[in-house]
Order: sequence, then structure tokens, then C-alpha cells
Amino acid sequence: MSGGLYTQLLDLACGAFLLAAVIVLWVRELTAIIRVFALQGIALAALAVLLGAHEHRWDLVGVGVGIGALRAGVLPYLLRRALATLTADRQRYGTAAAETRETQPLVNVAASLLTAALLTLLAYAVARPLTALDPTPATRALPVGLAVVLIGFFVLVTRRRAPAQVVGFLLLDNGITATALLATSGVPLIVELGVSFDVLLAVLVLQMLTTRMREAFGTTDIDDLRELHD
Amino acid sequence: MSAIPAALATATTLGGAGALAGLGLPYRLRVPVVGLLTAGAGVAGAAAGVAALGGSRWATDLPGLLPLVGTHLAVDALAGVFMAVAGAVVVAVAVYGVGYAAGHGPHGLGSRTAQAMLPLFALTLVLVPAAASVSTFLVLWELMALVSLLLVLAEHRERASVRQAGVWYAVMTHLGLVLLLAAFALFAARAGGETFAALRAGAHTVSPTVRGLVFVLAGLAFTSKAGAVPLHAWLPRAHPEAPSPVSALMSTAMVNLGVYGLIRTGLDLLGGGPAWWWLGLIAVGGVSAVYGILQAAMASDLKRLLAYSTSENMGLVFIGVGACGLFTSYGDRPLAALALAAALLHVVNHAAFKALLFCAAGSVVRSTGLRDLDRLGGLRSRMPATAGLFALAALGAVALPPGNGFISEWLLLQSLIHGLQVPGVAVAVVLPLSVALIALSAGIAAAAFVKALGVGFFARPRSPRADGAREAPPLMIAGMGLLAAACVALALVPGLLGDALDRAVSAIGLPGSGALSGGGVRVRLTDISASLSPLWVVAALAVAIMAAVGLPRLYGRRRRRMNARLWDCGGGAPTPRMAYTATSFAEPLQRVFDDVLAPEQDLNVTPVRESAYLVERVRFERRVPDRIEHRLYEPVLRALAGTGRSARRLAGGSVHLYLGYGFVGLVVLLVALAVGW
Repeated sequence: MSGGLYTQLLDLACGAFLLAAVIVLWVRELTAIIRVFALQGIALAALAVLLGAHEHRWDLVGVGVGIGALRAGVLPYLLRRALATLTADRQRYGTAAAETRETQPLVNVAASLLTAALLTLLAYAVARPLTALDPTPATRALPVGLAVVLIGFFVLVTRRRAPAQVVGFLLLDNGITATALLATSGVPLIVELGVSFDVLLAVLVLQMLTTRMREAFGTTDIDDLRELHD
Repeated sequence: MSAIPAALATATTLGGAGALAGLGLPYRLRVPVVGLLTAGAGVAGAAAGVAALGGSRWATDLPGLLPLVGTHLAVDALAGVFMAVAGAVVVAVAVYGVGYAAGHGPHGLGSRTAQAMLPLFALTLVLVPAAASVSTFLVLWELMALVSLLLVLAEHRERASVRQAGVWYAVMTHLGLVLLLAAFALFAARAGGETFAALRAGAHTVSPTVRGLVFVLAGLAFTSKAGAVPLHAWLPRAHPEAPSPVSALMSTAMVNLGVYGLIRTGLDLLGGGPAWWWLGLIAVGGVSAVYGILQAAMASDLKRLLAYSTSENMGLVFIGVGACGLFTSYGDRPLAALALAAALLHVVNHAAFKALLFCAAGSVVRSTGLRDLDRLGGLRSRMPATAGLFALAALGAVALPPGNGFISEWLLLQSLIHGLQVPGVAVAVVLPLSVALIALSAGIAAAAFVKALGVGFFARPRSPRADGAREAPPLMIAGMGLLAAACVALALVPGLLGDALDRAVSAIGLPGSGALSGGGVRVRLTDISASLSPLWVVAALAVAIMAAVGLPRLYGRRRRRMNARLWDCGGGAPTPRMAYTATSFAEPLQRVFDDVLAPEQDLNVTPVRESAYLVERVRFERRVPDRIEHRLYEPVLRALAGTGRSARRLAGGSVHLYLGYGFVGLVVLLVALAVGW
């Protein structure tokens, strides 16, 4: 793979990765959010495979394939299934829309997008000294990872529905993985395995919690948890 | 080869062994063994102090003992004064404490914890003056505070008020520690080193503002430890509630260390400072002296009275130290030396009589279970030895001629009066004012101790428990006897301390004052034409008293004697309820100082149902609240509680809010990083 093509592909993958995070902020339909999240997983997997191919490290390609399978396949599947169980009984009354839409985020969409732009700027500002250390194409893309971490955190803070929050958490984790990949040119297989396993477990637990919440309160708006306060 | 390291090593070994013995031994063996070991540690500590006062110096570094910074120890004559006083008090109190704890059951002071802490407390009291670096000093200081806190809490099972006192003490002592940490950290950072030698060398390179800040912070911490206003609130709580031997140690050796810290920091490490530091210190001292003794005169709790009197005496000492600094800043070094010598002598005198007073009060409390003067009385015939010893110590406390407190206050007054030759408007205003404050405090002290002695020990018992009082066991009397001997020696031949005090004063770079030169019998001031011979004063007084008592007897013998009943106005024989109580004795004084004290009183009159003119019951209640506490502490406490309550709103229960805190924190941190680069 020639240097120019590699750089262009890497930038493309990173761009898609960041764009996916921004789109998560934009759309309101939960199913669409999950679809965008799966796309982001593919971009992340492509990132890992590209890095691996460029440096001829086949274990990294393996990591990339694994990431792709988990984040574009398993996790979206789990999320979709959770959403389906949540809306199953609502279908009958025609109120499912209320449960599958992020109707009232704490910060509206326009402001969210603006914030995402500011957070991206911040990420670039913070990462400047890091890229200055070793200005390869990979490290120059490092701010993208940081930006997705921040956007993921922002989603976590501003979205009301539990499934949207789970996606926020996963965005955060995607961002961390991307940062690790870009900063260190690939993490060891065992570390990535451990992290992925963690994420999988976290999603399973969150899914269960969401279902429980739904049963207890009839909604997945986590602000209702306020009543648990003393 | 100096005797100091050997003595300090012995003290440490004995103190450590005492702590282990207190933890390990069963109750019957525990008390005497711990008492013996503590007394041994006290003897060793006093020996180290006396050796330092004799002119030997010693310094060492133990690099391995504290991580990173090591331990630095140094003993000079100034440290020697405080070490010797602490050691001597420890010896007497240890002997007294064996009698106090034995036969009292394995609770309170006899408990495992208290007996393990007592030797440690004694040890830290001896060792704090030996510290020669900031970290060593602070470690020992904090150890002393923690150990004394555990001792204050020794009787927490018996009275709930002990716990409250413990909380007050813990909070205030740690507030002091925080102030001290801030002061020393600032000082060490600017001076470029944390050993006392480095601080001393670097003090001149520090800017005046920082030096002033260091002095104010350290001064607040040290005056709080010494129980001076405004940070005195722990003292009238903790000292009465602690077991009496502990009160005796805390009220003498421990408060002294506040004075030591202030002298060491202000005059030695910072090397003196501008006049405003010392004027502030004199103000603190003056207010403490008058306010402390006024509260003491109002108190009806015997130990609370003594605790407030500690506040007063420390105030007097601070006036002396402040005058020393003031004279130094104006360049009058001989007078400065005299003021400091007077302050140090008062430290020694106060330690002797106050330890004895607390021990005697402890005997009363142990025998009757009462601290309330209103319910005591009649103890002179029931506890003659204790009453005699209390009277002796009270004589020292009232600063009148035959007592030992008189000499140091006389010296202090001499230095202040002759300080008027120092130019400056502030001096011309402050010095006469402090002379007046000292005189006023001495007058009120006389009233306070006449009350304590007269109402508490004379007259007839006002409660069955006071009636059933029994004399203290011999060991307690022996411990008190040691202190009484010290009081008498200090009263008769204070001149013996002359050379030692000169060395202590010159340890911080002042010329020896020669204040107490003259071979012990005479106190003659070298630079000022004034002299005093305590022995002759005592002899003259003794002759005068003998004449006053003996002549009427001789004369009266010639007449025929008739015994008749006392005239009782036809109201029947007077009952003990009609005698003066502490409250009624203090009442006129309270009227005089009504504006300062602002007493609160409650009068409830319940008439008989049929008639408005016949009274069935009258209920009268009067409290004299600590007004400084009322005005200064309560608003602060209220504000703190309010802040705490409103801070609960931060935790609103919304998950989004909590996540938001994390997010905002992260973003602010990143922005700070981005801008910082």
C-alpha cells in the first residue's frame, strides 16, 4: 500500500468515525442511532485493519476484524433486541413511538451539534503537543479519537432514554479504542480482547438494567431514577 | 560527652516501655508499673532539660527515622526550660496518677487505653521542644495532640459531656495544626529548607509580607494551643472533662508548648519582626488575661475555674513575650531580655502552682464526685492535706507577695514600666494599658481564688457528698507534695534559676538579662534600679501575721472568756444553705462587669392558685455564657452548617447531574491544559 493511499484511507476512516458520532447527536430515532453506531463500529474496524496492513502486523488486522464483529455486529444486535423487548407491549397501544424516540434531550439538537464542534476543537487543541511529538498520519488523526470520547460523554450527559445512554457509553469506549490505536499504532491483542469483553459485559448488564427499569417505572427515562434519592 | 542524648534516649525507652506496659499488663499491675515508668521518663526528661539549662547543647540528625525528610533534634537552653518544666510536672503527676487511678477500677484513667497513652503523652511533652526541623516538630506536635485527645476522652463512659469536649478539642487542635502547617510550609518554601537551622539562615531573604503572614498564622495556632483568646474555646471544655492528672499535664506542660512554639518561631526562627506583630501579641495576651480571669471568677465549676485561670496566665506570658519582641524591634535588648526572662519565669511558676491546683481539685473530685463549688464546702476538716496544698497553690496563683506567681509578675511589671523609655506612640499607649490589665487581672484572680478556696474548702458542707469526703491516698499527697515543694522553692529562692534563665534568653540571641542575679536570695535587676528579696518579704509577712494573730491572743487571755450562741436574728440556727455559694460570692463582681459578661438569667415565679400574692415556687437560673464564643464561634458554626445544608443540593439525585459534573470537570481540565500550553 502506497503512503498516499494509506493516508487518504486513514483520513477517510477517521472522518467516517467522527461523522458517525456527530450523527448520533443529530438523529432522534433510537433504531437509527443504533444503525449509525454500527457504522461507526465498521469505521473503527477499518481503522484497525488499515493500521495493521500498513505496518504489516497481522495481529492488528485480527484485532480489527474482532472489533468489527463486536461493535458493528454483536453490540448493535443486542441493542436492537433490547429495544424490541421494550417496545413489544407498547405496539398494541400505539405508544411505541414515545419509547423509541429521544423526544426531549436535555440539550436540543442544534445546540448539541454546536457543542460537538466546540468539543472537536477542544480535542484538537489538547492533542497538539501529542501530535507534535511524532507527526505521522496516525498521530495526526489522534484528535478524532479524543473528540469522539468527548462527544460520547456529552451524549451520556444529555440524553434521557436509557438505550441512547448506552450508545453514548459505547461511543465513549469507541473513542478510547480509537485513541489507543492511533496513539500507539495498535494495542496488543490481549488488551483489546480484555477491553472488548468488558464492553460486552457492560452492555449486557445495562440491557438488563434497562429492562428492569422499564418494568419498574414504565419508562426508560433515567431522570425518573431521581425518586431513588433519599 | 553531653548528658542530653543519654537522658532523652532513657526517656524515650521508658515512655515506650510504659505504653507497652499499659497495653499489656492486667489492671492491678498496670497502674503502678505505668506510673513508675512515666515518672522515670519524666525524671530523664527533666534531667535533659536541666543539662541544657546548665549550658550544654546537643543536636543530631536521624535520617532513617522519618521517611524522606529524616528526623532532626536539637536542644538548647530555651528548649531546656520547657523540657525541664514538662519533665518535673510529669514526675509529680505520675506519682499522683498512681494514687488517682488505683482503686478507681479499670475504667477511666485506669483503662488500658488511658494507661498506654499517659506515658506517650509525657514523652511527647518532653520531646516536642527537642525538635529541630519542621517535619519533626509537626509530627511530635500532632502526636501530642492525638494522645492528649485520647486521654481527654478517658472518662467518656461516665459523662456524655466528655464526648462533646473531645469533639471541641479535636476540631480546634486540628484547626491549629492546619494553621501551623500552612505557616511552616510557606516559611520553609520561601526560606529554602525545612530544618530550623535552614529557616533561621533563610529568614532574612523572605519578604516582609510573607514573614508577617507566617507569624500571624503560627501565632494563631500557638496561642490557640496555649488557650489564649479568641481560639480558647476548647480549653474550658477539655480541661475540666479530662481526668485530673491529665488536666494537670495539659494545663501546664502542654499549654507551655504553645508559648515555646511562639518564642521559637517569632523570636528565633523569624528573628524578630516589626512592632505590629508584638503589639498584636500583647493585645491577645492582655485580653486573654482579663477575660480569662473574669470567666474564672464567674465559674462555679472548680476545674473550669482553673482552666480559665490557665487562659489568664498564658495571657500574662504572652504579654511578656510580646513586650520582649517589641523592645527588640526598637533595639532595646536588655529590656527585651528582662521581659522574656519574666515570661519564662512565669511559665515555670504557673506550671508549678497550676499542676498543684489541678491535682488538689482532682483529689476533691475523686473523693466527692463533685466539681460544682456551690455544692462543696467543709473540706478543710475532712481533707486537711488537700486543702492546705490547694491553699498554697492558690497563694501562688493570686500573685500576691508570699506566692511564687508574684515574683514573675513583678518582673513583668518592671520590664513594662521601664519600657516607657522606649520611644514611640504605640509603646506609650500600649505599655501603660498592659500594666493596668495585669493589675486588674491580678485583682480579679485574688477574688477568684478566694472564692475557690473559701467556698470550696471552708464553711460547712453544702451537700451529703461533700460531707462524706475523705482524704486522698498517700501517693496522691506525695505527688502533690513534690509540686508544693517546687512552689515553695520558687517563691523563696527564685534567684537560683537566674543563670538558667539567662542562658535560655541568650539562646535566641538576646543578652543575658541578669534579672535574677544575686545568689538566690535577692532579685536584683542589673540595668534597672530595682530589687526584691523574696525571702525577706516572706519573713516580714510571717512576722506581721504572727503579730496580728498572736498579740490579740496574748492580750485576750487576760480577759474572761464567755461562750454563747451566735446571734441569729431570731431565725433559728443558720443552715449551710445560708452560706455564701460560689455564685453569690461572684455576684458583686458580676454586677461590676455586667456589660462585658452579659449574663443570662431566668426567673420563674409560680404563685399559689388561690392567691397572686403567695408564692408556691421560685425558680431562678443564671448562666454566664462565654461571650467571645457566643459572638465569634456561633456565626461561623451556623455558616458552616448552612453551607453544608446547601451543598446537599449539589447531589440532587439526577443521574444526568452527576454525569454532568464529570463531563464539565473533564472539559474544564482539558481547556485548562489547552490554554496552559
